[in-house]
Amino acid sequence: MNSLKRIHAALHFQPHDRVPVIAQVFGHAAMLAGVDLKTYVQDGAVLAACQRDALAYYDYDAVFALMDTSVETEAVGSVLDYRTNAYPTVQAYVFAKHDDLAQLHLPDPQCDGRMPELLKAIRILRHAVGNEVLVVGCVLGPMTLVCQLMGLQEALYLAIDAPDQFIQLLDFATRVIIRFGVAQLEAGAHLPIIFDPASCPEVIPVAFFRELILPRLKTICSTFTQAGAICNWLHIAGRTTPILPFYPEAGVAIANFDFSVDPASAMQALPQTCLDGNLKPFAFVDASPAFIADEAQRLLQCFAQRGGFILSSGCEIPPEARPENITALVQAVRS
Amino acid sequence: MHNALMQKLVQALIDGDQAMAVTQTHQLQAAGLARETIITDGIESAMTQLDARCTVEQFNLLEIMLAGRAVMSAMKVLYPGDAAMFPSQGTIILASLEGDVHDLGKNILKMVLTAKGYRVVDCGKDCPVDRLIATARQEAPLAVGISGLITTVIPQIRQVRTKMHALGLTQIKVMAGGAALKQATAASLQVDFIGETAFDCLHYVETLSGS
Repeated sequence: MNSLKRIHAALHFQPHDRVPVIAQVFGHAAMLAGVDLKTYVQDGAVLAACQRDALAYYDYDAVFALMDTSVETEAVGSVLDYRTNAYPTVQAYVFAKHDDLAQLHLPDPQCDGRMPELLKAIRILRHAVGNEVLVVGCVLGPMTLVCQLMGLQEALYLAIDAPDQFIQLLDFATRVIIRFGVAQLEAGAHLPIIFDPASCPEVIPVAFFRELILPRLKTICSTFTQAGAICNWLHIAGRTTPILPFYPEAGVAIANFDFSVDPASAMQALPQTCLDGNLKPFAFVDASPAFIADEAQRLLQCFAQRGGFILSSGCEIPPEARPENITALVQAVRS
Repeated sequence: MHNALMQKLVQALIDGDQAMAVTQTHQLQAAGLARETIITDGIESAMTQLDARCTVEQFNLLEIMLAGRAVMSAMKVLYPGDAAMFPSQGTIILASLEGDVHDLGKNILKMVLTAKGYRVVDCGKDCPVDRLIATARQEAPLAVGISGLITTVIPQIRQVRTKMHALGLTQIKVMAGGAALKQATAASLQVDFIGETAFDCLHYVETLSGS
């Protein structure tokens, strides 16, 4: 059974040879290869090479063509600050409260910002692993992209002070996401993971998510499915328990759950949805391989009866993680 | 009548209704109430109710930001253009360290502390440890608060207390918070306290100031 078939089995709660394991290794792949993160996030060929090397080193079930959370906003027009061995950050947001939305540029993934480099990384990775290993692209979710277009604080204030303008911006973000995600699928991604940490109930109320974000996630997921995604994978970090029951309505087939969500609550909220999680990301930096192995075994036991589980971290494994801890995670499903 | 007006202010602050909070503050002033009374019976009362609602499970950034903005607007009505006149229960220094440009959590804590009568010296985001410590030497605060969204700042955080102690600043406590830092323990970060929410940090500061 190869990685893709194993994940497919987990998705459908079918028997598999072992539980799939997906370490959320993004920038860590650069650290492992001794490559500057600044280069990794700007050069698709370098990113793909690092991801392939990390796959060979750890032998998990997926590779990620994922740069950072500023790819879309840069392509729209935000100015980024690139620093050595760090993810870029937004120096100047492209949108402010009284700006004219009609002036915002809908980016072309083939030529704007780093989008073409990300598509290049996808093409290289898919060519390299074919249908053996899951190739994951990445788009931001609508709430997070709005926050990246104008800043989190300003976006939240806009939602209250000028709700019509906020909704228009949310719709613009949805168009950006769909265009970029479909381009990723056309380049060969099996699916683009949808990252929407700003949709967490710790940031916005549940009713806000239900009324404003959920309908747009639904549109995004259905469009990705029509464009050939093998399924939709939603990643919202933090205490997501109150919004998990909405995921099936959005069309989500793999639901990430963070370390702050109890596995039993996640299973109860999503009885028929494949779950991935939920080791504490920082444990990969400061804990021991024995601790990671114990935590992983505890999770595997939790899901042993149910199935529909991918062993993973609750969020990104920090770039500076200890490699032996990631190895311990991967080995847990084989022991 | 004053009570009714005060209740309207409290409710406006809890609801995060900035315009209403400003209006009610003006009305209370026009009715002859001293600003100290408006702070004690209005703003601090609202903060106490908000604190009770703001548990780890129910914490919601949007609501707390709106309330914080309304509180700061009311404070500006009471002390127009003169933050130095705010009543002070002590000084707190806040920063996000070098390499971390996320400052929303820090800004929320700043609003909460200011509303509860603390003087906040904000070193901003992307702040080098040495600048933070130099500010601590100058300001003699009760505590230094560090907000962190990314784990890569942790090695810097571990330097703060050691460096301050080396300079004899042993009485200044170090507290931390933020998505990355609350995954760790205070011992592993070499700080005195880690807060899950801004109100956790406020409670810790209150133990230091004896409030």
